[in-house]
Amino acid sequence: MRSCSAETRPPAPGKESIVLIGNPNVGKSVIFNYLTGKYATVSNYPGTTVEVTRGALSGGERHHQVIDTPGVNSLIPMSEDEKVTRDILLYETPTHLIQVMDAKNLRRGLLISLQLVEMNLPFFVILNMWDEAKSRGMEIRSQLLEKILGTPILKTVATRRKGLERIREHLRPQFPTPIPIQYPETLESGVSRILLLLPEAPISKRSLALMLLSGDESLTEWLHQNLTEETILRIEKIRQEIEHHFSDPVGYLISQARLRKVDEILSEVMGRQAETLPTLSYTIGNLSIHPFWGIPILLLVLFVTYEFVGVFGAQVSVKFLEETVFGRWILPPLTQGIQRFIPVPFLQEFLIGPYGLFTMALTYAIAIVLPIVGYFFLIFGLMEDSGYLPRLAVMSNQVFKRMGLNGKAVLPMVLGLGCGTMATMTTRILETEKDRILVTLLLALAVPCSAQLGVILGMFATLPPLYFLIWIAVMAGILVTVGYLASRILPGEGSDFILEVPPLRIPQLSNVIIKTLARMEWYLKEAVPLFILGTLLLFILHQTKGLVILESILSPLITHFLGLPSKVTETFIIGFLRRDYGAAGLFMLAKGGNLNPHQVVVSLVTMTLFIPCVAQFFMMIKERGIRKTLWITAVVLPIAFGVGGGLNFLLKWLGI
Amino acid sequence: MERETDGKKGPHRKMWGVVNGVEEDRIDELLELIWTLREKGVSDLDQLLENTRDGEAKSILRMMIRDGLFEVEGSRMVLKEKGEEKARELIRRHRLTERLLLEIFEMSEDEVEEEACKFEHILSPNVTESVCTFLGHPPTCIHGKPIPRGECCTKFKKEIKPLVLPLEELGLGDRGRIVFIAPKSHQRLDRLSTLGIATGSIVRMHQKNPSYVIEIGETTLALDKDIVKDIYVKKV
Repeated sequence: MRSCSAETRPPAPGKESIVLIGNPNVGKSVIFNYLTGKYATVSNYPGTTVEVTRGALSGGERHHQVIDTPGVNSLIPMSEDEKVTRDILLYETPTHLIQVMDAKNLRRGLLISLQLVEMNLPFFVILNMWDEAKSRGMEIRSQLLEKILGTPILKTVATRRKGLERIREHLRPQFPTPIPIQYPETLESGVSRILLLLPEAPISKRSLALMLLSGDESLTEWLHQNLTEETILRIEKIRQEIEHHFSDPVGYLISQARLRKVDEILSEVMGRQAETLPTLSYTIGNLSIHPFWGIPILLLVLFVTYEFVGVFGAQVSVKFLEETVFGRWILPPLTQGIQRFIPVPFLQEFLIGPYGLFTMALTYAIAIVLPIVGYFFLIFGLMEDSGYLPRLAVMSNQVFKRMGLNGKAVLPMVLGLGCGTMATMTTRILETEKDRILVTLLLALAVPCSAQLGVILGMFATLPPLYFLIWIAVMAGILVTVGYLASRILPGEGSDFILEVPPLRIPQLSNVIIKTLARMEWYLKEAVPLFILGTLLLFILHQTKGLVILESILSPLITHFLGLPSKVTETFIIGFLRRDYGAAGLFMLAKGGNLNPHQVVVSLVTMTLFIPCVAQFFMMIKERGIRKTLWITAVVLPIAFGVGGGLNFLLKWLGI
Repeated sequence: MERETDGKKGPHRKMWGVVNGVEEDRIDELLELIWTLREKGVSDLDQLLENTRDGEAKSILRMMIRDGLFEVEGSRMVLKEKGEEKARELIRRHRLTERLLLEIFEMSEDEVEEEACKFEHILSPNVTESVCTFLGHPPTCIHGKPIPRGECCTKFKKEIKPLVLPLEELGLGDRGRIVFIAPKSHQRLDRLSTLGIATGSIVRMHQKNPSYVIEIGETTLALDKDIVKDIYVKKV
């Protein structure tokens, strides 16, 4: 799942493309879903649709490809998302461009419309969430707006499918009226000078010049593809000249000029807003970020999540799947069948031995991991679609500030409780590299994934609460300490906490389920091969007695320093292949009575802190590069064993 | 556009005639020039002489050294206590006036420059403090350069109800029109503007804890405290 900037695949000749563009949170993905009938990560939280989602227009006589872009606030890119969207307009000339706008946030939507007009791109507008605007007493003269923009405007309520049927009849080139915007004189002269140096492009040269003047570095690639070094340097010189002329950043001045134009249009098009009573969603929305009431709401959400995923998911469903479905229905007949039809002992061991493909890999993958992850994704999807997730960020911003981050990190950190691999990928939405490294480090260190978490909670459930509290205290302490120290040591700036808080909405269950299924499917595709790989590795180690050797090497560390039985070594090694796997191994040991409570705590603390599973490790290499990943590993390993050992001695000394 | 004190003064000075007042003005101008050059990292005497239009700068400078306003170490100029204080006050008045005239009275930049040059010589300390309080103790001038702090800023006097206040202080539920945003980082300004936060936008303060939350139109934004600090609004 890579973002598309360099790897764009324009539609094959003969194929036409429809691109959806707009601010975050306007309902693009819902409309995409409607047009394609396909899985898409439909989300309310800005930045989650980092991926460009493509699908085929359902029921189209001609072959249309529909493309859903990440939400943007401006087409002068200030984030990865915005770059991806701008690049799509630049590299892939869409046949049809649809801007989706939030009717009640007309001002921000028009800011984008003006840019599209400036770019000389044909498009039409879908004015979505019309019902919410109406319920706030807003009056929008859409026909007048249509005249001013010179392009059709469809009023819709996408979540209720109202108005969407008219989209298809508007799929033909719609050229908007040019709307002149007056920029400061010096800026205009800079624009005309750069204009002369630019080559032909799918978007207007004027808009490109403005992007370059505002310091858009993401265009360098395109520039190098189309111009000589010399010309590029000349453009840069002009840019610097203009930049020095003004005390305010050029981008800001451009936005200001555009906003003025937008406000001009709005004054004609918006009627007076009637006073309306605050809706229930508004009231609850406010309570959820309230300094006092927000906290019990937060705790309630966490509690529900815990009950659902931890108890219902981890304990009940896992138990059912493992003991009943696999234990009684699947494995026995399978074992008998294999013993009968495949008399080769080696293969038998391979498939159903202690490190067997079916007995270990698939059982764990499907009986333990899948249900927990599935339930987690379900809850997460509900939080996203209801609009609660940004509120979580608002409530937790102070906590994250102590870790050297800000509330926006709540998204990857919370996702990390679901699946660390996916969370590491989501660090893309963080703006600065420093934030991304910090979160990647913390995810690799102290955030247990849901499968692991489920097993961990299951193990602690049988012990006095003290042990669980120790575990929590250690984890929280490490998060804050390491986060704080790392934010001091790492170079660079953290990012600003500027977060849009959308209104609370009742999530559309069908959307949530589609999202959850899509994520589970992705997870299965990633997980099962790795489980098999892990089992294979263990199988080989076992057969070649390599396991014994490895155990004997690591044993002193594990037994003396950590005070654990030597069988634990095996679970740690497995734990690298799959963290939850390792935790499950510990679970088995504990169930078999091999670990006392003291050891349970030490082993779980060490395991949680231990380096992440192979999948997450590879994701870290992909996202942060091999060097940083190795650094992170070099930090994580000593902390894991150090803290584990320290805890061991501390507890012994305290006599717990 | 570098139009602050660079020694190139307009015709108004000719009106004053040859009186001690002129000398004082010229001393003031030179003090200001030393300060602004210092801001740019230049303390060289030769540079100073290059930058001033005052033909008899050298003799004025000698007078200033004699009065204990600054001293020369090699070719470097260093302001002494008396000179530092005076220069500071001049710069403060000049830049506060700029803000006042441009943002509140909305005069053109040319007019502002001309008037600020006059005001800096004649504003009394009391009036300076009042203007500063009135504007809500702005940290920078219209060109982005820092305005030296005064007593009123440190005491954060609020006796005159400021017309312009930092967004931080906008009351819960109150609305304000953004008057200026002290440019801390370009990226931040760009970002804010695409979300609709720019001079002229009207915002409503929704809450201040656990994070600042403001409303612009129908958009609700959560902001960290240090971003809010940079935004100044006029209550509406």
